Amino acid sequence: MQAAPVAPALTKSPPSPRRRALLFLVLPTSLWLLFFLVLPYCGLLVQSFLGTNEFGDVVFSPTLDPWKSFFKKSLYTGTLFYTFKIATIVTLASVAFSVPLAYFIAFKLTRGKQLVYTLVVVPLWVSYIVRAYAWKIILGREGILNTFLQWTGITHAPVEAFLYSQWAIVIGLVHIYTPFVLMPVYTAFENIPRPLIEASKDLGAGRLTTFFRVVLPLALPGVIAGATFAFVLTLGDFLAPLLLGGTDTMMISNIVQNLFGTSNDRPLGSVVGMVMLAIVLLVLEATARAEKNFASLESGRGRFGGTA
Amino acid sequence: MTRLLNGISWVGLAVVGLAVSACSKTETKPEATTDQKPATQAKADDATRFKGQTLNLLTWEGYADPKFTKGFEEKYGVTVKGTYFGSSDELVAKLKSSPGVYDVISPSSDVAYSLVQGGLIEPIDTSKISSFNDLAKEIRDMDDAKKGDKLYGIPFTWGPDYLIYDANVVKEEPKSWKVFYDPQYKGKVSLWDDISNIYLVGQIMGLDKDKPEALYNMTEEQLAEAKKKLVELKPQVRKYWATAGELNDLFKNKEVVLAVGWPLTVGTLNKEGMNLKGVIPEEGATGWIDRLMIPSSSKNKELATLYLDYVTQPKAQALVMDATGGYCVANSKASEHLAEDYKKSPCVTEAANYFKRLNFWRYAKDRKRYNEVWNEIKSAQ
Repeated sequence: MQAAPVAPALTKSPPSPRRRALLFLVLPTSLWLLFFLVLPYCGLLVQSFLGTNEFGDVVFSPTLDPWKSFFKKSLYTGTLFYTFKIATIVTLASVAFSVPLAYFIAFKLTRGKQLVYTLVVVPLWVSYIVRAYAWKIILGREGILNTFLQWTGITHAPVEAFLYSQWAIVIGLVHIYTPFVLMPVYTAFENIPRPLIEASKDLGAGRLTTFFRVVLPLALPGVIAGATFAFVLTLGDFLAPLLLGGTDTMMISNIVQNLFGTSNDRPLGSVVGMVMLAIVLLVLEATARAEKNFASLESGRGRFGGTA
Repeated sequence: MTRLLNGISWVGLAVVGLAVSACSKTETKPEATTDQKPATQAKADDATRFKGQTLNLLTWEGYADPKFTKGFEEKYGVTVKGTYFGSSDELVAKLKSSPGVYDVISPSSDVAYSLVQGGLIEPIDTSKISSFNDLAKEIRDMDDAKKGDKLYGIPFTWGPDYLIYDANVVKEEPKSWKVFYDPQYKGKVSLWDDISNIYLVGQIMGLDKDKPEALYNMTEEQLAEAKKKLVELKPQVRKYWATAGELNDLFKNKEVVLAVGWPLTVGTLNKEGMNLKGVIPEEGATGWIDRLMIPSSSKNKELATLYLDYVTQPKAQALVMDATGGYCVANSKASEHLAEDYKKSPCVTEAANYFKRLNFWRYAKDRKRYNEVWNEIKSAQ
């Protein structure tokens, strides 16, 4: 797949200095992608059709068994659906947090705008694992939240569902991915020409109408880009279930880790990997199309293009 | 396709970047920093032969600690370099992908058999191991490290996967594993995130009463029953622990009061003022043995044999117990060299009893199926 960007540069000879410069720029990336992305994936694809011997070594005996077990056993498809469920919840929650916050920073703040924006992004500098452990301290049976709730008398016994549960995973992931959603949404808000908003108000639209009919549609590409980040990253997450999850919150990447690690079933692990790759590519393609359709400001076409 | 790739390449790059950084995070097992002193105290005649060579160990974390490898380095003027693995399967993967690199490995009893049968291991000349007869024969003479009449591994450390309870909360010593099902401990139990839970339930079902190996060859019906029992137990379980450190935290933060675990946890937390106790319930418990083996691809087999000889001697074994924070060691004479509080360890005082009552892990032929059942249990809602 990745050969495509290289090919034109290679076939055109003799290269002009400009082309040579382009080749120089593109070649390292292309090679990197070829060796660390394309070839490994081809390897996985081949491996997913092979069998193993009794010691777990992959042997060259073509078979469809790994693919059959993936689609037949509810363990794999069920876990995949569960992962989708978590990813959807996390995406919706991250968007719900990011949009108002980004709106506030972009439109309401005049002084300290950079500071607040930086504060939101700062958690990205802290390691994922550190943040997960921080949530353990907050949500635990004798954690900060439970102690506080009991002190105020809201609850009388520690709430166990806070930690080691599906909700702990959702909280942890929303916290981690909200900055990823906020950044593109904020950028989209910032890029909206202010006169458009003024015009909307001049024409008699109230705040809410202006937001829903003018601001949000113009920012939709940013929202979609952010939501894609949250969704795709959650799909591949395995640390949150491991650190914050309970006894029934296994996600698909935990299965991959287990198949390649403990059970030494590389072909089946490869099947899961290929299925995940296909899903992620579909999601990215769909959202890329959606982004283009809603990109009304630049292209002047699309649903809201006519009025802009 | 190109268009699609253009559209996604940036997002793709970010995803890959994140994935790479996440992977590297989990894989940071720093190589042991062994003191690279140019040791010159070569005493024995043949000692000088190996001067300047490097012995590469591929072991569980802590099994290449300078506390005990230093003596060997000084004796022969060599460098002992340790690489750690985090799971039995990582060991197998590393060993197969880089032949010739490692000279001594420390597989547990669950994979020892397949390594030996797979022809990856060199037989050991037991006449060159001076302490061979002092090593506990219960774990020394097990079949899984044998092929024909040759021995391929010598025991290094061992331990039980026994029942740990917080004696401040659980006032009476539990007699049976069934205490895990007691409603008053709902949400206060922790199991290891490992297929060994299936062995454990097999023990509760009484499968190994006559034949210890029955736990490792369970039929599909027995597996189904074990699965049912473990799913039933889920509401009682707070968290399946993944590392010994995580289990420590679970006990410390009062999240759990009952668990399957290792003496290491009891030792570590009692030093911090907790009151944990460990017990082998009436059904028995499973146990593990870590053996030292020499891969057939090793280029330093002679030196590796000398290391095996050194590290199984009583003094070195006492240092091993100290360095690992209290793992049981294979040499029974090590106790003479132990510090006072290690002499009180159940590894020393109750060794005979443990050897009788522990069902040491064996090779489960259908390990893949066991793993799948364990995953099914974990994904059951």
